[in-house]
Amino acid sequence: MTAGMTAGHVVTGAALANCLGTDSRTVFERAFAGEGPDGDAFSPASAFSEFPFPTQLGIMSGAAPSDEDVLDCAPTRLATIALASMRQLRPAVRGAVARWGARRVAYLFASSTGGIEATERWLAPDPRLPITGAGYRYADHGIDATGAAIARSLGIAGICMAISTACSSSFKALASALRLIDHGLADAAVVGSADSLCRTTIFGFHSLGLTAPTATRPFARDRCGITLGEGSACVLIERAVAATTRHGLARITGTGAASDAFHHTSPHPEGVGGQLCMRQALDRAGLRPSDIDCVSAHGTGTRLNDAAEAVAVTRVFERRVAMTATKSLTGHTLGTAGLTALVLAIESLRRQEIPATLRLAPPDDSLGVAVVGKRTPTRLRHVLVNAFGFGGSNASVVVSEPSASPS
Amino acid sequence: MTAATTVGAVRILGAAFFSTHHASAGDLLAGRERPLTLPSYGLLVGRARRFTSLVTQLHLEVCGALHGGAAAPPIAVFATCHGEIQTAAKLIADFHEASVVSSARFALSVHNTASGMYSVAVGSTAPTTTVTGGNAIAAGWLEASLTVLDTGQTVLLSIADEPVPAAFHGPAGLIGLAAGFLLGPESSTGRRVELAIAPDAAEPEVDAGQVLARGVSAWIGAAPATVTLGRIQVGAMLELRFAAEGVAA
Repeated sequence: MTAGMTAGHVVTGAALANCLGTDSRTVFERAFAGEGPDGDAFSPASAFSEFPFPTQLGIMSGAAPSDEDVLDCAPTRLATIALASMRQLRPAVRGAVARWGARRVAYLFASSTGGIEATERWLAPDPRLPITGAGYRYADHGIDATGAAIARSLGIAGICMAISTACSSSFKALASALRLIDHGLADAAVVGSADSLCRTTIFGFHSLGLTAPTATRPFARDRCGITLGEGSACVLIERAVAATTRHGLARITGTGAASDAFHHTSPHPEGVGGQLCMRQALDRAGLRPSDIDCVSAHGTGTRLNDAAEAVAVTRVFERRVAMTATKSLTGHTLGTAGLTALVLAIESLRRQEIPATLRLAPPDDSLGVAVVGKRTPTRLRHVLVNAFGFGGSNASVVVSEPSASPS
Repeated sequence: MTAATTVGAVRILGAAFFSTHHASAGDLLAGRERPLTLPSYGLLVGRARRFTSLVTQLHLEVCGALHGGAAAPPIAVFATCHGEIQTAAKLIADFHEASVVSSARFALSVHNTASGMYSVAVGSTAPTTTVTGGNAIAAGWLEASLTVLDTGQTVLLSIADEPVPAAFHGPAGLIGLAAGFLLGPESSTGRRVELAIAPDAAEPEVDAGQVLARGVSAWIGAAPATVTLGRIQVGAMLELRFAAEGVAA
């Protein structure tokens, strides 16, 4: 760290796109609208493809390239979805490139499924899902091709990496980005994440008995599974100096990661990995559990996941901290879920209100957690966001107001 | 970029190598092949073996070889260019032909399958991550080394890939390959290696087998060596720089 720098990482840009909308403003308006038709954006799975079982999906529609989008990869569903949020970050990235130089801005791209949807169109043709662009290329299957193309499109020439740890992917990428900045290998980093719906995951989660036939109901008494979604989210993180803290949207104050060491797809019943990573994130933020004003839960809506996370949150916070589950709004966007919830948490800090967990009533009181069922104005300084995934891969991030400090 | 950027230095406390077609890293470098040999199940026991892909078996083979080298199960970084590519092919074929997929197969289809299996097998709650893509070897080394520098702890780096099914029209002629490295801080005992980002305007072809075998061979030997790991940013490659053994850090 050189003179003039202060500890911490400033979020100077954030954007997202998903079934609620293809631009952040629309997503925020609908996410904070609460119960009602504006907030509920799920569709029957038949709107995507044919499935021999009922389920709902968070389908992102209406995304299209703009004149500014010069992307040297195929216009796959993944690329189109990724671009929808990344293009919103373009002005902020231009500022970072001007401030630090293109070679000092890193790009971390995270996804769980990558371009598998493009491969499905090739290997399992569906008339409703034609191959886009010039035809199928293996490069479009990988996670890195789309990420690297977007990095080039944004004028970034720094370190470029792709991370894939299922539903914790985007938080692992965020932690890697902070490490690059801390070790002087970058001064800024774009962390981008995208996942598209694909038949592999819809059939796959159904095979595990985890898809809900109706819209997902995290932490509700009669919750019965996941609503899969698609979307993208991205943040621009910069080294904390006067020029960046002046217009920071928020600060990333702590990150944590841990494994369950229990089962590949089922959570540890006491959320052991979740407890560890939440405590680590708090420690690194220099915060006590009582400093956290809201927990944005992983909250997938399955019986086991929500129960395990409730135990973990109860053990760590030892009080009924306010919780929200944004997957009730966006669906489960897999590798993008963490960053999606983080961008919504940043907007929560700006608005000073917690978005509703839709379809909560009646809540599962046996879980002993205080999930917010209505849009709730409140004082918010620090929000802890969870992202837990297959492989017992858990990650937590604490995001704080730009001016907030440990009490 | 005009000059190399030094990332930092770590110690290699141990290394392991497995090739489905070569008995050792030295044999791969010398072009001496053996009949197809599959990895053992290493750390896997019981039902966990049934749906485990070749790439996960490869990862766990080298993880198993290095498992005893750390006092406690270390933080682990996994790297794979193609991930669970054979499992992905089977899942797509399954739903296309029968509108159903195997739950066990789907559960083990994510890129971090090996890291999850590893943490369960060794009972480790330490963090793991998985880097992927064309520069996975370089990115894995960078991620693992920065984690060592960050935490001062031992970090296990496992790099593995399996052949891409022909239906994908991907790279042909790949074999099953894995290399594992147990990395420690400079204060530990082991072969010191420095990581550097060096300018390279050209786009050299990086052969994963050669890169992995050279890394393991350099660790075994005592001579100075530079191993180019792959592109890490525009116009720059990540390098491992081994000084002659015995040279002070």
